[in-house]
Amino acid sequence: MIPKEFSLSGKIAVVGGAGRSWLKELASYLAEAGADVALFGQDEKQMAAAAQAVQKLGRRAITVPTNVTSYREVEKMVAAVLGQFGKIDILVNSFDLQFAKPLIEVTVDEWNRVMATNLNAVFVGAKAVGKHMLERKEGKIITISSGLAERGLPNSTAYCSSKGGVIQFTRALALEWARLNVRVNAIALGWMAEGAEAQEGDWRDLLTRYIPVSRLGQPDDLAAALVYLASDASSFVTGSTLYVTGGLMAHG
Amino acid sequence: MLEKLSLDGKVAVVTGGGGGLGTAISLAMAEAGADIVVTDFRPEDGERTAAKVISVGRKSVFFPADVTKSDQVNSMMAKAIAQWGKVDILVNCAGIVREEQVKPFWEISDFEWHRGIDTNLTGAFHCSRAVAKHMVDRKYGRIINIASGFGMRGRRNSFMYNTAKAGVILLTMSLALTLSRDGIRVNAVAPGLFQTWGPRERYDAAAPFIPMGRVGQPSEIGPLAVYLASDASAYVTGEVFSIDGGALFSGYAPVNYVPAIPIEK
Repeated sequence: MIPKEFSLSGKIAVVGGAGRSWLKELASYLAEAGADVALFGQDEKQMAAAAQAVQKLGRRAITVPTNVTSYREVEKMVAAVLGQFGKIDILVNSFDLQFAKPLIEVTVDEWNRVMATNLNAVFVGAKAVGKHMLERKEGKIITISSGLAERGLPNSTAYCSSKGGVIQFTRALALEWARLNVRVNAIALGWMAEGAEAQEGDWRDLLTRYIPVSRLGQPDDLAAALVYLASDASSFVTGSTLYVTGGLMAHG
Repeated sequence: MLEKLSLDGKVAVVTGGGGGLGTAISLAMAEAGADIVVTDFRPEDGERTAAKVISVGRKSVFFPADVTKSDQVNSMMAKAIAQWGKVDILVNCAGIVREEQVKPFWEISDFEWHRGIDTNLTGAFHCSRAVAKHMVDRKYGRIINIASGFGMRGRRNSFMYNTAKAGVILLTMSLALTLSRDGIRVNAVAPGLFQTWGPRERYDAAAPFIPMGRVGQPSEIGPLAVYLASDASAYVTGEVFSIDGGALFSGYAPVNYVPAIPIEK
Protein backbone atom coordinates (compact mmCIF):
# COMPACT_ATOMS: atom_id res chain seq x y z
CA MET A 1 0.00 0.00 0.00
CA ILE A 2 1.21 3.49 -0.82
CA PRO A 3 0.85 5.73 2.24
CA LYS A 4 -1.71 8.48 1.54
CA GLU A 5 0.68 11.23 2.62
CA PHE A 6 2.56 10.74 -0.68
CA SER A 7 -0.44 11.69 -2.80
CA LEU A 8 -0.10 14.72 -5.10
CA SER A 9 -3.63 14.57 -6.35
CA GLY A 10 -4.98 18.04 -7.16
CA LYS A 11 -1.48 19.54 -7.10
CA ILE A 12 0.18 21.53 -9.87
CA ALA A 13 3.88 20.90 -10.40
CA VAL A 14 6.27 22.91 -12.52
CA VAL A 15 9.42 21.14 -13.66
CA GLY A 16 12.27 23.05 -15.24
CA GLY A 17 15.00 21.29 -17.15
CA ALA A 18 18.27 22.18 -18.81
CA GLY A 19 21.14 19.92 -19.76
CA ARG A 20 20.84 16.44 -18.31
CA SER A 21 17.53 16.86 -16.50
CA TRP A 22 15.44 13.65 -16.75
CA LEU A 23 12.44 15.83 -17.51
CA LYS A 24 10.30 12.99 -18.79
CA GLU A 25 10.95 10.75 -15.81
CA LEU A 26 10.57 13.43 -13.14
CA ALA A 27 7.31 14.63 -14.70
CA SER A 28 6.01 11.05 -14.86
CA TYR A 29 6.68 10.38 -11.17
CA LEU A 30 4.79 13.53 -10.16
CA ALA A 31 1.93 12.66 -12.50
CA GLU A 32 1.79 9.12 -11.19
CA ALA A 33 1.29 10.54 -7.70
CA GLY A 34 -1.59 12.63 -9.06
CA ALA A 35 -0.13 16.00 -10.08
CA ASP A 36 -0.70 17.96 -13.26
CA VAL A 37 2.62 19.12 -14.68
CA ALA A 38 3.95 22.15 -16.52
CA LEU A 39 7.36 21.81 -18.15
CA PHE A 40 9.75 24.61 -18.96
CA GLY A 41 13.13 24.72 -20.65
CA GLN A 42 14.64 25.03 -24.09
CA ASP A 43 14.74 21.42 -25.26
CA GLU A 44 11.33 21.29 -26.91
CA LYS A 45 11.67 17.65 -27.96
CA GLN A 46 12.44 16.59 -24.40
CA MET A 47 9.56 18.69 -23.06
CA ALA A 48 7.11 17.23 -25.59
CA ALA A 49 8.12 13.70 -24.63
CA ALA A 50 7.64 14.57 -20.97
CA ALA A 51 4.21 16.09 -21.59
CA GLN A 52 3.16 13.05 -23.56
CA ALA A 53 4.24 10.76 -20.72
CA VAL A 54 2.20 12.83 -18.24
CA GLN A 55 -0.88 12.76 -20.45
CA LYS A 56 -0.53 9.03 -20.88
CA LEU A 57 -0.90 8.76 -17.10
CA GLY A 58 -4.19 10.65 -17.34
CA ARG A 59 -2.89 13.96 -16.01
CA ARG A 60 -2.77 17.37 -17.66
CA ALA A 61 0.51 18.71 -19.05
CA ILE A 62 1.68 21.87 -20.75
CA THR A 63 5.07 22.90 -22.09
CA VAL A 64 6.40 26.45 -21.94
CA PRO A 65 9.56 27.07 -23.98
CA THR A 66 11.74 29.17 -21.68
CA ASN A 67 15.33 30.25 -21.29
CA VAL A 68 15.74 29.00 -17.71
CA THR A 69 18.45 31.54 -16.89
CA SER A 70 16.34 34.57 -17.88
CA TYR A 71 14.25 35.96 -15.03
CA ARG A 72 11.96 37.74 -17.46
CA GLU A 73 11.27 34.56 -19.42
CA VAL A 74 10.73 32.48 -16.28
CA GLU A 75 8.31 35.15 -14.97
CA LYS A 76 6.39 34.85 -18.25
CA MET A 77 6.40 31.08 -17.85
CA VAL A 78 4.87 31.43 -14.36
CA ALA A 79 2.13 33.68 -15.78
CA ALA A 80 1.42 31.15 -18.51
CA VAL A 81 1.18 28.27 -16.03
CA LEU A 82 -1.08 30.28 -13.71
CA GLY A 83 -3.26 31.17 -16.70
CA GLN A 84 -3.61 27.51 -17.53
CA PHE A 85 -3.72 25.84 -14.09
CA GLY A 86 -4.49 28.70 -11.65
CA LYS A 87 -1.79 27.88 -9.10
CA ILE A 88 1.60 26.24 -8.57
CA ASP A 89 2.17 23.91 -5.60
CA ILE A 90 5.51 22.38 -6.52
CA LEU A 91 8.63 23.60 -8.31
CA VAL A 92 11.32 21.17 -9.39
CA ASN A 93 14.58 22.75 -10.58
CA SER A 94 16.49 20.11 -12.52
CA PHE A 95 19.39 21.83 -14.23
CA ASP A 96 22.55 19.90 -14.91
CA LEU A 97 25.13 21.14 -17.36
CA GLN A 98 28.03 18.73 -17.15
CA PHE A 99 31.50 20.12 -17.55
CA ALA A 100 35.03 19.00 -16.62
CA LYS A 101 38.32 20.65 -17.56
CA PRO A 102 41.61 21.49 -15.83
CA LEU A 103 41.16 24.78 -14.01
CA ILE A 104 43.94 26.49 -15.98
CA GLU A 105 42.03 25.82 -19.22
CA VAL A 106 38.60 26.86 -17.98
CA THR A 107 37.59 30.12 -19.62
CA VAL A 108 35.59 32.75 -17.79
CA ASP A 109 32.85 32.21 -20.33
CA GLU A 110 32.70 28.46 -19.59
CA TRP A 111 32.67 29.08 -15.85
CA ASN A 112 29.83 31.56 -16.25
CA ARG A 113 27.83 29.18 -18.41
CA VAL A 114 28.07 26.35 -15.88
CA MET A 115 27.07 28.71 -13.08
CA ALA A 116 24.25 30.20 -15.14
CA THR A 117 22.61 26.86 -15.88
CA ASN A 118 23.32 24.94 -12.71
CA LEU A 119 23.00 27.67 -10.09
CA ASN A 120 21.56 30.91 -11.50
CA ALA A 121 18.59 29.05 -13.00
CA VAL A 122 17.79 27.65 -9.56
CA PHE A 123 17.73 31.19 -8.17
CA VAL A 124 15.64 32.47 -11.07
CA GLY A 125 13.10 29.65 -10.83
CA ALA A 126 12.80 29.83 -7.05
CA LYS A 127 12.35 33.60 -7.10
CA ALA A 128 9.78 33.68 -9.88
CA VAL A 129 7.70 30.75 -8.65
CA GLY A 130 8.39 31.44 -4.96
CA LYS A 131 6.73 34.85 -5.25
CA HIS A 132 3.48 33.09 -6.14
CA MET A 133 4.00 30.47 -3.41
CA LEU A 134 4.48 33.17 -0.77
CA GLU A 135 1.25 34.84 -1.89
CA ARG A 136 -0.58 31.54 -1.48
CA LYS A 137 1.37 30.73 1.70
CA GLU A 138 2.02 27.24 0.38
CA GLY A 139 4.67 25.59 -1.72
CA LYS A 140 7.42 23.05 -2.09
CA ILE A 141 10.63 23.70 -3.98
CA ILE A 142 12.93 20.84 -4.89
CA THR A 143 16.37 21.41 -6.30
CA ILE A 144 18.46 18.74 -7.98
CA SER A 145 22.09 18.68 -6.91
CA SER A 146 24.88 16.11 -6.80
CA GLY A 147 27.11 14.26 -4.36
CA LEU A 148 29.79 16.49 -5.87
CA ALA A 149 28.28 19.29 -3.81
CA GLU A 150 30.01 17.72 -0.80
CA ARG A 151 32.98 16.01 -2.43
CA GLY A 152 35.79 17.19 -4.67
CA LEU A 153 36.88 15.80 -8.04
CA PRO A 154 39.73 16.80 -10.40
CA ASN A 155 38.75 19.02 -13.33
CA SER A 156 35.45 19.74 -11.68
CA THR A 157 35.88 23.11 -10.00
CA ALA A 158 33.04 24.73 -11.90
CA TYR A 159 30.66 21.79 -11.61
CA CYS A 160 31.36 21.15 -7.91
CA SER A 161 31.04 24.84 -7.10
CA SER A 162 27.73 25.10 -8.90
CA LYS A 163 26.29 22.00 -7.22
CA GLY A 164 27.59 23.04 -3.80
CA GLY A 165 25.93 26.37 -4.47
CA VAL A 166 22.62 24.64 -5.15
CA ILE A 167 22.68 22.91 -1.76
CA GLN A 168 23.65 26.05 0.10
CA PHE A 169 20.97 27.97 -1.80
CA THR A 170 18.51 25.30 -0.69
CA ARG A 171 19.51 25.56 2.97
CA ALA A 172 19.51 29.35 3.00
CA LEU A 173 16.14 29.71 1.28
CA ALA A 174 14.66 26.98 3.49
CA LEU A 175 15.47 29.09 6.56
CA GLU A 176 14.27 32.30 4.90
CA TRP A 177 10.86 30.81 4.16
CA ALA A 178 10.60 28.26 6.99
CA ARG A 179 7.73 30.14 8.65
CA LEU A 180 5.95 31.01 5.43
CA ASN A 181 4.92 27.43 4.67
CA VAL A 182 7.23 27.07 1.69
CA ARG A 183 9.60 24.12 2.12
CA VAL A 184 12.85 23.93 0.15
CA ASN A 185 14.82 20.69 -0.15
CA ALA A 186 17.36 19.07 -2.44
CA ILE A 187 17.92 15.69 -4.03
CA ALA A 188 21.57 14.91 -4.71
CA LEU A 189 22.39 12.37 -7.41
CA GLY A 190 25.35 10.07 -7.64
CA TRP A 191 26.92 8.60 -10.78
CA MET A 192 24.05 8.03 -13.17
CA ALA A 193 24.05 5.36 -15.86
CA GLU A 194 23.07 7.98 -18.42
CA GLY A 195 25.55 10.79 -18.36
CA ALA A 196 28.76 12.04 -19.83
CA GLU A 197 30.97 10.65 -17.08
CA ALA A 198 29.63 7.15 -17.52
CA GLN A 199 29.70 6.82 -21.29
CA GLU A 200 33.20 5.51 -21.76
CA GLY A 201 33.52 1.79 -21.08
CA ASP A 202 36.48 1.78 -18.70
CA TRP A 203 35.11 4.58 -16.54
CA ARG A 204 31.75 2.95 -16.42
CA ASP A 205 33.20 -0.28 -15.04
CA LEU A 206 35.51 1.52 -12.64
CA LEU A 207 32.73 3.67 -11.23
CA THR A 208 30.35 0.75 -10.98
CA ARG A 209 32.87 -1.22 -8.93
CA TYR A 210 33.52 1.81 -6.74
CA ILE A 211 29.87 2.40 -5.84
CA PRO A 212 28.94 0.52 -2.63
CA VAL A 213 25.81 -1.02 -4.16
CA SER A 214 27.73 -1.96 -7.36
CA ARG A 215 25.55 -0.21 -9.89
CA LEU A 216 25.07 3.18 -11.49
CA GLY A 217 21.98 5.22 -10.67
CA GLN A 218 18.79 5.15 -12.72
CA PRO A 219 16.14 7.89 -12.90
CA ASP A 220 13.67 5.49 -11.26
CA ASP A 221 15.86 5.60 -8.15
CA LEU A 222 14.72 9.21 -7.72
CA ALA A 223 10.98 8.61 -8.04
CA ALA A 224 9.96 8.20 -4.42
CA ALA A 225 12.52 10.72 -3.17
CA LEU A 226 10.98 13.34 -5.44
CA VAL A 227 7.40 12.54 -4.49
CA TYR A 228 8.35 12.40 -0.81
CA LEU A 229 9.78 15.91 -0.88
CA ALA A 230 6.93 17.22 -3.08
CA SER A 231 4.16 15.85 -0.86
CA ASP A 232 2.85 16.18 2.68
CA ALA A 233 4.85 13.05 3.54
CA SER A 234 7.75 15.41 4.30
CA SER A 235 5.77 18.06 6.20
CA PHE A 236 8.51 18.64 8.83
CA VAL A 237 11.41 18.56 6.36
CA THR A 238 13.04 21.72 5.08
CA GLY A 239 16.64 22.58 4.17
CA SER A 240 17.49 18.89 3.84
CA THR A 241 19.32 17.05 1.11
CA LEU A 242 18.34 13.52 0.18
CA TYR A 243 21.37 11.81 -1.32
CA VAL A 244 20.48 9.05 -3.78
CA THR A 245 24.01 7.91 -4.55
CA GLY A 246 24.16 4.16 -3.96
CA GLY A 247 26.08 4.63 -0.72
CA LEU A 248 28.83 6.88 -2.10
CA MET A 249 28.49 9.53 0.61
CA ALA A 250 29.35 7.01 3.35
CA HIS A 251 32.75 6.44 1.70
CA GLY A 252 35.71 8.19 3.37
CA MET B 1 7.10 3.64 -9.58
CA LEU B 2 5.32 4.58 -6.37
CA GLU B 3 4.08 1.07 -5.74
CA LYS B 4 7.63 0.47 -4.56
CA LEU B 5 6.70 2.34 -1.37
CA SER B 6 4.54 -0.62 -0.40
CA LEU B 7 5.69 -2.84 2.47
CA ASP B 8 3.14 -5.56 1.71
CA GLY B 9 4.35 -8.92 2.98
CA LYS B 10 7.30 -7.47 4.90
CA VAL B 11 8.13 -8.10 8.54
CA ALA B 12 9.64 -5.28 10.58
CA VAL B 13 11.18 -5.28 14.05
CA VAL B 14 10.86 -1.89 15.78
CA THR B 15 12.91 -1.41 18.93
CA GLY B 16 11.72 1.23 21.34
CA GLY B 17 8.39 0.46 19.71
CA GLY B 18 6.46 1.65 22.74
CA GLY B 19 7.86 5.18 22.59
CA GLY B 20 6.47 8.15 20.70
CA LEU B 21 8.53 7.81 17.52
CA GLY B 22 8.59 3.99 17.71
CA THR B 23 4.79 3.88 17.84
CA ALA B 24 4.44 6.29 14.91
CA ILE B 25 6.96 4.35 12.81
CA SER B 26 5.27 1.02 13.63
CA LEU B 27 1.87 2.38 12.58
CA ALA B 28 3.17 4.01 9.38
CA MET B 29 4.89 0.79 8.30
CA ALA B 30 1.78 -1.22 9.19
CA GLU B 31 -0.35 1.09 7.08
CA ALA B 32 2.09 0.51 4.22
CA GLY B 33 1.45 -3.24 4.60
CA ALA B 34 4.10 -4.56 7.01
CA ASP B 35 3.58 -6.84 9.99
CA ILE B 36 5.35 -5.52 13.07
CA VAL B 37 7.34 -7.11 15.86
CA VAL B 38 7.32 -4.49 18.61
CA THR B 39 10.08 -4.64 21.18
CA ASP B 40 10.66 -2.42 24.19
CA PHE B 41 11.72 -2.79 27.80
CA ARG B 42 8.40 -1.23 28.88
CA PRO B 43 5.78 -3.99 28.47
CA GLU B 44 2.64 -1.83 28.76
CA ASP B 45 3.89 0.64 26.14
CA GLY B 46 5.04 -2.10 23.77
CA GLU B 47 1.76 -4.02 24.12
CA ARG B 48 -0.17 -0.83 23.40
CA THR B 49 1.70 -0.29 20.13
CA ALA B 50 1.14 -3.91 19.08
CA ALA B 51 -2.59 -3.50 19.77
CA LYS B 52 -2.66 -0.34 17.65
CA VAL B 53 -0.97 -2.14 14.75
CA ILE B 54 -3.53 -4.93 14.99
CA SER B 55 -6.31 -2.32 14.97
CA VAL B 56 -5.14 -1.04 11.56
CA GLY B 57 -5.42 -4.58 10.20
CA ARG B 58 -1.87 -5.92 10.34
CA LYS B 59 -0.33 -8.64 12.45
CA SER B 60 1.76 -7.64 15.44
CA VAL B 61 3.41 -9.20 18.49
CA PHE B 62 5.27 -7.69 21.40
CA PHE B 63 8.50 -9.24 22.71
CA PRO B 64 10.14 -7.49 25.66
CA ALA B 65 13.88 -6.82 25.55
CA ASP B 66 16.36 -4.42 27.08
CA VAL B 67 18.56 -3.48 24.11
CA THR B 68 21.58 -2.93 26.38
CA LYS B 69 21.59 -6.70 27.17
CA SER B 70 22.79 -8.73 24.20
CA ASP B 71 21.36 -12.02 25.54
CA GLN B 72 17.91 -10.45 25.73
CA VAL B 73 18.32 -8.97 22.23
CA ASN B 74 19.48 -12.28 20.76
CA SER B 75 16.55 -14.21 22.15
CA MET B 76 14.08 -11.46 21.15
CA MET B 77 15.44 -11.51 17.58
CA ALA B 78 15.32 -15.32 17.40
CA LYS B 79 11.66 -15.20 18.45
CA ALA B 80 10.98 -12.41 15.94
CA ILE B 81 12.48 -14.43 13.08
CA ALA B 82 10.56 -17.54 14.17
CA GLN B 83 7.26 -15.65 14.45
CA TRP B 84 6.64 -15.21 10.70
CA GLY B 85 9.74 -16.93 9.33
CA LYS B 86 11.80 -13.83 8.53
CA VAL B 87 12.70 -10.27 9.39
CA ASP B 88 13.00 -7.84 6.46
CA ILE B 89 13.33 -4.56 8.32
CA LEU B 90 14.95 -3.50 11.58
CA VAL B 91 14.26 -0.05 13.01
CA ASN B 92 16.64 0.83 15.85
CA CYS B 93 14.52 3.35 17.71
CA ALA B 94 15.36 2.48 21.32
CA GLY B 95 17.19 5.19 23.20
CA ILE B 96 16.98 7.45 26.18
CA VAL B 97 15.87 10.92 25.23
CA ARG B 98 15.76 12.00 28.86
CA GLU B 99 17.84 15.15 29.41
CA GLU B 100 21.09 14.27 31.01
CA GLN B 101 21.35 15.68 34.47
CA VAL B 102 23.31 18.90 34.18
CA LYS B 103 26.44 18.66 36.27
CA PRO B 104 30.11 19.52 35.82
CA PHE B 105 31.67 17.33 33.13
CA TRP B 106 34.23 15.95 35.62
CA GLU B 107 31.45 14.63 37.85
CA ILE B 108 29.85 12.34 35.26
CA SER B 109 30.01 8.84 36.69
CA ASP B 110 31.09 5.68 34.89
CA PHE B 111 27.54 4.41 35.32
CA GLU B 112 25.99 7.49 33.67
CA TRP B 113 28.43 7.39 30.77
CA HIS B 114 27.91 3.69 30.07
CA ARG B 115 24.15 3.88 30.47
CA GLY B 116 23.95 6.69 27.87
CA ILE B 117 26.29 5.00 25.40
CA ASP B 118 24.82 1.52 25.92
CA THR B 119 21.24 2.55 25.34
CA ASN B 120 21.72 4.88 22.41
CA LEU B 121 24.63 3.23 20.59
CA THR B 122 25.38 -0.28 21.86
CA GLY B 123 21.68 -1.16 21.64
CA ALA B 124 21.68 -0.45 17.90
CA PHE B 125 24.82 -2.58 17.55
CA HIS B 126 23.27 -5.47 19.52
CA CYS B 127 20.08 -5.45 17.45
CA SER B 128 21.83 -5.05 14.08
CA ARG B 129 24.30 -7.84 14.92
CA ALA B 130 21.46 -10.12 16.00
CA VAL B 131 19.66 -9.79 12.64
CA ALA B 132 22.50 -9.18 10.14
CA LYS B 133 23.38 -12.84 9.47
CA HIS B 134 19.73 -13.67 8.86
CA MET B 135 19.50 -10.76 6.41
CA VAL B 136 22.75 -11.72 4.63
CA ASP B 137 21.52 -15.32 4.26
CA ARG B 138 18.32 -14.03 2.66
CA LYS B 139 20.18 -11.37 0.63
CA TYR B 140 17.54 -8.89 1.77
CA GLY B 141 17.39 -6.45 4.62
CA ARG B 142 16.85 -2.85 5.58
CA ILE B 143 18.17 -1.34 8.79
CA ILE B 144 17.02 2.10 9.85
CA ASN B 145 18.81 3.72 12.75
CA ILE B 146 17.17 6.59 14.57
CA ALA B 147 20.06 8.97 15.19
CA SER B 148 19.67 12.67 15.95
CA GLY B 149 20.71 16.07 14.67
CA PHE B 150 22.72 16.14 17.90
CA GLY B 151 24.84 13.35 16.44
CA MET B 152 26.24 16.00 14.08
CA ARG B 153 26.31 19.02 16.39
CA GLY B 154 27.63 19.73 19.85
CA ARG B 155 25.50 20.84 22.75
CA ARG B 156 26.51 22.21 26.13
CA ASN B 157 26.43 19.61 28.89
CA SER B 158 25.25 16.85 26.59
CA PHE B 159 27.90 14.17 26.25
CA MET B 160 26.51 10.66 26.26
CA TYR B 161 23.55 11.45 24.03
CA ASN B 162 25.46 13.43 21.39
CA THR B 163 28.44 11.07 21.40
CA ALA B 164 26.27 7.98 21.12
CA LYS B 165 24.18 9.46 18.31
CA ALA B 166 27.35 10.40 16.40
CA GLY B 167 28.35 6.77 16.87
CA VAL B 168 25.01 5.63 15.45
CA ILE B 169 25.66 7.69 12.32
CA LEU B 170 29.10 6.12 11.77
CA LEU B 171 27.74 2.66 12.61
CA THR B 172 25.22 3.34 9.84
CA MET B 173 27.89 4.32 7.31
CA SER B 174 30.30 1.48 8.02
CA LEU B 175 27.59 -1.18 8.20
CA ALA B 176 26.10 0.15 4.96
CA LEU B 177 29.46 -0.22 3.19
CA THR B 178 30.06 -3.64 4.75
CA LEU B 179 26.71 -5.07 3.65
CA SER B 180 26.09 -3.04 0.49
CA ARG B 181 26.73 -6.02 -1.77
CA ASP B 182 24.55 -8.43 0.21
CA GLY B 183 21.23 -6.77 -0.61
CA ILE B 184 21.15 -4.93 2.69
CA ARG B 185 20.72 -1.20 3.02
CA VAL B 186 21.49 0.70 6.20
CA ASN B 187 20.35 4.29 6.67
CA ALA B 188 19.84 6.71 9.51
CA VAL B 189 17.19 9.27 10.29
CA ALA B 190 18.25 12.32 12.27
CA PRO B 191 15.16 13.76 13.93
CA GLY B 192 15.02 17.19 15.47
CA LEU B 193 12.62 17.89 18.31
CA PHE B 194 9.40 15.87 18.19
CA GLN B 195 6.49 16.12 20.59
CA THR B 196 6.69 12.71 22.21
CA TRP B 197 6.42 12.77 25.99
CA GLY B 198 6.61 15.29 28.77
CA PRO B 199 4.90 18.61 29.36
CA ARG B 200 3.52 20.62 26.46
CA GLU B 201 5.24 23.76 27.78
CA ARG B 202 8.64 22.26 27.09
CA TYR B 203 7.82 22.02 23.39
CA ASP B 204 6.19 25.45 23.27
CA ALA B 205 9.37 26.92 24.73
CA ALA B 206 11.54 25.20 22.11
CA ALA B 207 9.42 25.93 19.04
CA PRO B 208 10.68 29.52 18.45
CA PHE B 209 14.23 28.17 18.05
CA ILE B 210 13.26 25.84 15.20
CA PRO B 211 13.28 27.49 11.73
CA MET B 212 9.77 26.27 10.91
CA GLY B 213 8.59 27.65 14.24
CA ARG B 214 7.14 24.40 15.54
CA VAL B 215 8.20 21.00 16.83
CA GLY B 216 7.54 17.85 14.82
CA GLN B 217 4.59 15.55 15.36
CA PRO B 218 5.50 11.85 15.63
CA SER B 219 3.22 10.99 12.70
CA GLU B 220 5.46 13.12 10.47
CA ILE B 221 8.37 10.68 10.76
CA GLY B 222 6.32 7.71 9.48
CA PRO B 223 6.53 8.35 5.73
CA LEU B 224 10.32 8.74 5.90
CA ALA B 225 10.65 5.38 7.67
CA VAL B 226 8.41 3.79 5.03
CA TYR B 227 10.52 5.31 2.25
CA LEU B 228 13.79 4.05 3.72
CA ALA B 229 12.31 0.61 4.53
CA SER B 230 10.82 0.11 1.08
CA ASP B 231 12.24 -0.65 -2.34
CA ALA B 232 11.47 2.97 -3.29
CA SER B 233 14.88 3.84 -1.80
CA ALA B 234 16.73 0.97 -3.51
CA TYR B 235 19.74 3.18 -4.38
CA VAL B 236 20.02 4.85 -0.97
CA THR B 237 22.41 3.43 1.61
CA GLY B 238 24.77 4.81 4.24
CA GLU B 239 22.76 8.01 4.34
CA VAL B 240 21.62 10.23 7.15
CA PHE B 241 18.44 12.15 6.49
CA SER B 242 17.41 14.95 8.79
CA ILE B 243 13.78 15.64 9.61
CA ASP B 244 13.89 18.64 11.87
CA GLY B 245 11.97 21.66 10.58
CA GLY B 246 15.23 23.07 9.21
CA ALA B 247 17.18 22.91 12.48
CA LEU B 248 20.38 21.19 11.32
CA PHE B 249 21.50 24.00 9.03
CA SER B 250 20.41 26.79 11.31
CA GLY B 251 22.40 27.52 14.46
CA TYR B 252 24.96 29.74 12.70
CA ALA B 253 23.32 32.81 14.21
CA PRO B 254 20.37 33.49 16.50
CA VAL B 255 17.15 32.40 14.87
CA ASN B 256 15.84 35.99 14.52
CA TYR B 257 19.06 37.42 13.02
CA VAL B 258 18.24 38.62 9.48
CA PRO B 259 21.21 40.52 8.02
CA ALA B 260 20.86 43.18 5.30
CA ILE B 261 24.11 44.34 3.67
CA PRO B 262 24.03 46.30 0.38
CA ILE B 263 26.86 46.02 -2.16
CA GLU B 264 29.05 49.11 -1.75
CA LYS B 265 29.20 51.50 -4.71
